[in-house]
Amino acid sequence: MKNKPIKSINKIITYILLTVFAIISLLPLYWVFSTSLQLSSYQSQDMERPVSYVNANPPKMYPMGIPLYFEHWSEAREAAKAGDIELETYHRDMMSYIIEDTFSSFVNLFTKQDVGKWFFNSIYIAVIVTFGILLFDSMAGYVLAKKKFPGRNLIFWVIISTMMIPGQVTLVPLFFMVGKLELMNTHWALILPDLAMVFGVFLMRQFMYSIPDELLEAARMDGASEWKTYWTVVLPLAKPGLAALGIFTFMSVWNSFLWPIIVLNNEALYTLPVGLKTLQDANLASFKLLMSGAAITAIPMIIVFILFQRHFVKGLTIGGVKE
Amino acid sequence: MKKLWKKPTLLLASLGLTASMLAACSGGSNEEVGDADEFKGTITIWDGPRWPDEDDNKYHWLESKIAEYEAANEGIKIELVQVPWAEMGDKLGVSIAGQAWPDIAPVDISGSSVSIDHIEQGVVEPLDAYLTKEEKADFYENALDAYSYDGKLYGIPNSITLHTMLLNLDLFEERGVTPPANGKWTYAEFLKTAKDLTFDRDGDGKTDVYGFSTYILPGYYEAWPFFYKNGGSPLNEDLTGFTFDDPKVVQAIQDLADLKLKEDAAPETLGGSDVGGTFQAWANEEQRTVAMQPWATWAIGAAQGKYPTNFMVAEYPTGDAGEAVTIGGVGGWLMFNQGDNANKKAAVADFMKFISSTDEQFTMAQHYGIFPARISSSEMDPFKENPEMTRAMEMSDQVVMLPRHPEWKKIDEAIQTQLQLVFNGEKTAEQAMADAKKAVDELLK
Amino acid sequence: MTQVKLDPVQEVNMNENRLQGTKNAKKSHKKPNTVWRDMKKNYSAYLFLLPKLILFVLFVAFPVVWAIVLSFQKYRFNGSIFIGLDNYIAVFNSEAFSIALKNTLLFTVVTVPFSVISALVISVMIFGLGKISQSFFRSAFYLPSVTSMVIIAMVWRWMYNYDFGLFNYFLSWFGVEPINWLGQSATALWALIIMSCLIPFGTGIIMYLASMGSISQSLYEAARIDGANSLKQFFHITIPLLKPTTLYLVLLSTIGSFQVFTQIIMMTGGGPGSSTETLVHLIYKTGFRDFEYGLASAQAVVLFVIILIFSIIQFRVLRHDE
Repeated sequence: MKNKPIKSINKIITYILLTVFAIISLLPLYWVFSTSLQLSSYQSQDMERPVSYVNANPPKMYPMGIPLYFEHWSEAREAAKAGDIELETYHRDMMSYIIEDTFSSFVNLFTKQDVGKWFFNSIYIAVIVTFGILLFDSMAGYVLAKKKFPGRNLIFWVIISTMMIPGQVTLVPLFFMVGKLELMNTHWALILPDLAMVFGVFLMRQFMYSIPDELLEAARMDGASEWKTYWTVVLPLAKPGLAALGIFTFMSVWNSFLWPIIVLNNEALYTLPVGLKTLQDANLASFKLLMSGAAITAIPMIIVFILFQRHFVKGLTIGGVKE
Repeated sequence: MKKLWKKPTLLLASLGLTASMLAACSGGSNEEVGDADEFKGTITIWDGPRWPDEDDNKYHWLESKIAEYEAANEGIKIELVQVPWAEMGDKLGVSIAGQAWPDIAPVDISGSSVSIDHIEQGVVEPLDAYLTKEEKADFYENALDAYSYDGKLYGIPNSITLHTMLLNLDLFEERGVTPPANGKWTYAEFLKTAKDLTFDRDGDGKTDVYGFSTYILPGYYEAWPFFYKNGGSPLNEDLTGFTFDDPKVVQAIQDLADLKLKEDAAPETLGGSDVGGTFQAWANEEQRTVAMQPWATWAIGAAQGKYPTNFMVAEYPTGDAGEAVTIGGVGGWLMFNQGDNANKKAAVADFMKFISSTDEQFTMAQHYGIFPARISSSEMDPFKENPEMTRAMEMSDQVVMLPRHPEWKKIDEAIQTQLQLVFNGEKTAEQAMADAKKAVDELLK
Repeated sequence: MTQVKLDPVQEVNMNENRLQGTKNAKKSHKKPNTVWRDMKKNYSAYLFLLPKLILFVLFVAFPVVWAIVLSFQKYRFNGSIFIGLDNYIAVFNSEAFSIALKNTLLFTVVTVPFSVISALVISVMIFGLGKISQSFFRSAFYLPSVTSMVIIAMVWRWMYNYDFGLFNYFLSWFGVEPINWLGQSATALWALIIMSCLIPFGTGIIMYLASMGSISQSLYEAARIDGANSLKQFFHITIPLLKPTTLYLVLLSTIGSFQVFTQIIMMTGGGPGSSTETLVHLIYKTGFRDFEYGLASAQAVVLFVIILIFSIIQFRVLRHDE
């Protein structure tokens, strides 16, 4: 009986704390979007110098477009009463100014910078790698899990042991390799080494274990070829694993940074993260522009995350937790 | 239309070719000069963003030159690789190391990406066989010097740049401060000006505008002319020892750092590493929180174009040495090793000359905020209507060059990281330069 | 972030027994002459493996071997020369490396425990909630992990901005003078550490939640009957049973934090001075700015050995008192 109020107080405290933590953890992302949509500045005729919004001290905590409209609303109404201006003109001019300024950096990025190209590059590279990985890794994972053949354990262990080696070790030789194959400054230089990532083999092998042998036997009895068995029986059963692997592959390719900045020279070939670095390095970019670029890069992953949340959880737990 | 264009260029190309063949013969060089017309294939050229056209395409100049050249020379395809300037040095160095270099790139041989070592290893092609004496005579001597090593010419100079002080005249007016006459001043005058320009506009007890700011970062030299004001240089004449620990230099460094640390005439970010933020603080009309900053000449173009500012160009203030100094550089095109393909070599050289002709250098000077490396282009007076560029150009006889050492990049980094600490007030200039000496002498061994 | 590549440790261990089993079984009834027949019979298995294997050999296995060879060479673009252990000697004698190592260690020693413990605390708090709130908070804490580190670094650089940044604004609420976070040696590394601590360890939270879900409720009931309060339950049941997950997460985040790079190149470039130089940034600089590929490879091999030693120690310590 006595416990009840304590319990609910506990619960309230938990909620408050979690909310505070969640705000802290989401604040940077919020700040990306808020800055990207912030007004850059505003100057009306009677002002001596323009008011800065992006570079403001204290910072403006949310986009100031609509507040600006209301800030000058009463002045405008007074002026309208006095017959100096028409309210409609105020509304039209102010709204078009606000809309134009709020989205100016996005327009700028797509029309005057290469962001459109970078976006396309990022998407198509990530898609190619994801599907390549899904196909090759599920094929490899399948035979490593379900077939007994000489050399199986050796192959598996060699592959797995390289997962412990940090990527930086192979950075230089990989770079030479790509040079020797004359792939420098092409997208193949990103795609091929990414297709060689071994995590998926391991994940698929784990997943394929859970497919009952009887089903495979049955398919074989029906005279299905190995390929057909794999394609019609194994793959459909592996769907949850494939979904998880696909998402993580897409995410890691989309976000990869160190390798692309080494092998891509041509601005037109850049992926979004590399392009963002260039934007930041260019002297003339404002934080509004940079944050808009960041927002464009973040949005696709956020959408993927919202759509496929379940699979994220699944993917993380296949790899690590005993079930 | 196309045909009309084709002829003269072809003619020019073949003229250039015969000229260069003549040069090869008369020079007695045993190097075989190929036939550019025989070459069919692709030439790769790197370039960084230059001035924008109406569509904000910053590569339009070279793109149109390429189109023109391809139309005139059938069978030659020129591939443009667009590399941002900030990445150019590292990317090129990486490509050299990976033996995947382009045919042409817009860099110098000062050691940031291409060093004397590379030249000795044959990465860069000498171009003497492709330029006649008369052609060479059209370039400023110091421009040719910057591309010469061991008596050979490695590259075609294209432009000369230097650093100048940019003064926001609106802020001078607001504070009733007189800018230096003719842009000439002593350090004491500069210091007083900087202090006068530092003020609290809205009376909230916080400084809103500072007199001066700049940044310190490896590979950037905006602040360096201040360090030369009493004389001295980073390395000694024969490049065997570090000499920035000279008391004259140490004093000069400390003076500039004290502008923030003691005089409060510079913002906290003086000597930081935020290049873009520094420029924005001077040029962006929403900020304009710094009255004076040193920049390379491209910034003059920016302040006349994208960031319209009421400004003037001034010299760096003079110190004990009594003479104004600035740091400059020479831009140009390098040809990278072509193996035994003499015909391709000739074609590449031909294209390099095509894009660094008198007219092209004139165009670039007008639009890109740099000075031509050709005397004939200067004589066309590209800055007729641009007094600020003219004033900057007058400073070209104050230019000192950075030491040309194969390890300069590392030496530079060792010095600049120490300088950062001085400007943060973490070390005195004396300490920092003593520490830099240790690191640099190690590299010079 | 690098979770994707680095999950294996625990799982490998789990499967060891299974594999060992098949290996022994095979050995007992296999004779050499049957191996060839086995291979022929299973040719399709090799075909299935082939694409991945080719990629693996070309872009993983071969480069690993090459890296080791390179680390004994002085790279010159027209022919490298073997110089024995000189690169390794240079690594251990170089001040830059020891500074980078020190910075990386400090970074790791602070961020890893903080990340893992905060993930645990947050998970415990979330676990007690209803289904909807659970999935809401889980998403809120995982969301930052799906955004590229490049973006996170850019926005933090903006938040740390001296003049207009959020942080100096928050500090001004408490009357603290603005701090030049990334601009001075005293605070730059700590700014990066604080940033890493405040980015929630999304993977950790999700995995802790999953593991807690698999702890049998009867254990808690038994404890409750014995009169253990919830704090006691937490320390005597939850924590011990979560140990495998904790071990895995500690290893994962240690490996990740030893490889810290993106923040450095996007926010400080290793400066001011060398106050934020880390190992991977140093490797990048040595290799791709100074073009000393041999030395860079030696640095990378040393980094690998350091990570390996750390992993083994953590494995031992966290396994020991189970």
